Amino acid sequence: MTLRESNSADDYSFCVRYVRERKARLAAESIAEQGLRQLYQSKQLLELVGSIAIAANESSSIEETLRFAITRICVTTGWQVGHVYLVSSDLRLQAVPTSIWYGAEGVKLAEFRAQSETMNFAAGHGLPGRVLAAGLPALIPDVATDGNFPRAAAAVRCGLTSAFAFPVLAGTEVVAVLEFFVNDGAVPDDYFLGLMAQIGAQLGRVVERSRTQERLFHEAFHDPLTGLPNRAMLLDRLSRAMARHQRNPEARFAILFIDLDRFKVVNDSLGHHAGDELLLGAAARLSAVLRETDIIARCHDCKSGERGTLARLGGDEFVVLLEDLRDTVEAARVAIRLQRAIAAPIHIGTSQLSITASIGIASSDTSYESPGDALRDADAAMYRAKACGKAQYQVFDSSMHRQAMHRLDLESSLRCALEQKEFLLHYQPIVNCSTGAIQGFEALLRWSRPGFGIVAPGAFLDVAEETGLVFPLGLWALEEACATARHWHTQFPGHSRLVMSVNLSPNQFAQPQLVTDIRRVLDHSGLDPALLNLEITESATFGDFERANEILTQLRALGVELSIDDFGTGFSSLSYLHRFPLQHLKVDRSFISRMGTDSESLAIVRTIIRLARDLHLQVTAEGVETALQAERLQELGCDYAQGFLYSKPVTREDAESLLRFGRKSSQVPALTH
Amino acid sequence: MKGIIFNLLEDAVVGEFGLAAWDDLLAVVGSDGVYTSLGNYPDSQVQDFVLAAAAKLGKSPAEILKWFGNAAMPLLFERYPQFFVGHTSTRAFILSVNNIIHPEVLKVYPGAIAPTFEFREAEDGGLLMGYRSPRRLCALAQGFTEGAARHFGQSVVFTHLQCMNKGDESCLCHIAFGS
Repeated sequence: MTLRESNSADDYSFCVRYVRERKARLAAESIAEQGLRQLYQSKQLLELVGSIAIAANESSSIEETLRFAITRICVTTGWQVGHVYLVSSDLRLQAVPTSIWYGAEGVKLAEFRAQSETMNFAAGHGLPGRVLAAGLPALIPDVATDGNFPRAAAAVRCGLTSAFAFPVLAGTEVVAVLEFFVNDGAVPDDYFLGLMAQIGAQLGRVVERSRTQERLFHEAFHDPLTGLPNRAMLLDRLSRAMARHQRNPEARFAILFIDLDRFKVVNDSLGHHAGDELLLGAAARLSAVLRETDIIARCHDCKSGERGTLARLGGDEFVVLLEDLRDTVEAARVAIRLQRAIAAPIHIGTSQLSITASIGIASSDTSYESPGDALRDADAAMYRAKACGKAQYQVFDSSMHRQAMHRLDLESSLRCALEQKEFLLHYQPIVNCSTGAIQGFEALLRWSRPGFGIVAPGAFLDVAEETGLVFPLGLWALEEACATARHWHTQFPGHSRLVMSVNLSPNQFAQPQLVTDIRRVLDHSGLDPALLNLEITESATFGDFERANEILTQLRALGVELSIDDFGTGFSSLSYLHRFPLQHLKVDRSFISRMGTDSESLAIVRTIIRLARDLHLQVTAEGVETALQAERLQELGCDYAQGFLYSKPVTREDAESLLRFGRKSSQVPALTH
Repeated sequence: MKGIIFNLLEDAVVGEFGLAAWDDLLAVVGSDGVYTSLGNYPDSQVQDFVLAAAAKLGKSPAEILKWFGNAAMPLLFERYPQFFVGHTSTRAFILSVNNIIHPEVLKVYPGAIAPTFEFREAEDGGLLMGYRSPRRLCALAQGFTEGAARHFGQSVVFTHLQCMNKGDESCLCHIAFGS
């Protein structure tokens, strides 16, 4: 400013001071205003960070949050253009453009946008690539002169001069890149870039949360072991397939209920780890079949390609849902392919296993109300397939439903039976072939089922095995048989070497605490271990010879006798016979019954007896029904025999009569020897 | 009213009429004259200064405001050059008032009451400016506009089509730009 001329020296000096003090005031005000402006800008930026943090916390959509963020950043800071890249790590790490943009009013963005959306940026390449590589904000004060900004020409034509970008970080991983452009050459300072980095971290939380949600969702609908869909997802897909079938009856579907035969034996004998490996192997094979099926079907007829979902329900149960089927026969064809795939030998650790699968099929040919019903019927058909000898498939029909209901009933009755003390043992004498004297008894399980009378194990043992009830039941039978044997030992001193034979099922044999259990039972009963004979079938030793040998050796060390039951019907590997610490072979009843009519059976029996003699094993013939058979066996040098010729299995009281009088209390003499 | 207006007024009066003239005005208005751009002062004091000056110079209050607006523009340029940078015409400078100048003022003085002008292109190529404020300082706006034109070396013709000071609900002014 200028002052008008002054009249005196005093006035002049006053004016100089006035001007100086005015300048001082202006300087002070300027400093204060600058401070106020900075304070305002900081506040605005902090509000920006805060509003984005809130949006990130409340967001359910990553895209929406990123769109909100670039809009808020542009509006607050005056940057005119914002754009989002997502980072893809599928093939290689690169920033992939999205259609999420912000453009301030009046910015003509079309050309720059079109070019940007066609370009992916690898780490280090261009502005997004620089941020991706460093994980830090990057700044380009003038895009026209920057050596690493491939979109410069289009940017300049759209009037954009400066750029900056920052990463969205989930932990240390760059998951998105946000880039911004402006036309006035404003250069953000470090404080600003620091705040942008904070925003990047906030936005990263949305991605992290979304990933956690995805993981939870995945866990809720997938089996953790195999990663396959679980029951919940299967039921969901099945209900969709059912709805589609209702709208369009040509859209047929079928479900294949797959159960691995004898999986439990493998799991119990080789351990859970081996069981898991087997399940993984089975899942991979089943998946491969479905993939091939899908491809084959598409090649033949693109319009009606089969679609398959493989799910694991738990344990060794898998279900395949086939959709868009031409007819149910297709489902059966797939079942056969699945069974073939499962049947190929599989290596688990050092063991090579051959496993089979039973498959039950239910299809849209039956009209279903709910997915649960369809699954139930496929399950029932699977049980029929198992009952038909395993490694089979069965298509559901309504008779199976009745059987399934019957089975359910049996299962629930069986669960109560042990508690209600409905089980009992019958005893079948084993006689000396030469003298006819009773040498021992085989204890046989019976169920006195209310309303059904005495039920033989064939009617319930499968269910007992599947439900795991076989373990407490087997233990009970062992305790009962030992107590009886101990009782007879004191009661009938004339029969001092009476041996009690007890069967061990393959599942029981696979129990890790088997030896401990038997030792405890022997101790508790006080029975001389030499008077207990444990009968196992050949199949119990299946899978892991070394383990079977170890268990048998431990049992033998307890002092008990060991028999192979039903010899000749299993895989009858002769190599184990001389290595297992066995004392007895029991020749299966099928050979004995055909001995008189079938020269081959006679030859087999003769061979078994000779083999046993050479290996110093004693032989017991099962199912001896005629005097002729008994005579022939004696001639062949068979040691012991049991069968209806001597006595049916009898109650404990009748067995005691036989011991006391040589016959049952209620009958005429049954023993002829 | 922001203290900057009083500072500008003081500078304008001292610059044209001398220190004593400002002291005289302070005495008439009864003000101690302590004004800083950081402070806020009663609107009525502006009115008091305008009336006192009008009386002293024998002019109308509107003439005083116009004179003040004209005189203030070089002072504003001296103090806030950044608002003038990037503009080459009076028209562009005036149009930046709503979007740049007043928002910037509000950044520094969050409580400031800044008027909003409604701008419309006039059919004759001029600019129509609507203004509504209880302060009714349309004459000051005219002075600022003319001062800006002088800064850019241009001429303007400022016409009041409607005026709150004449009983209209709002002011409507036409600005014609010369070369």
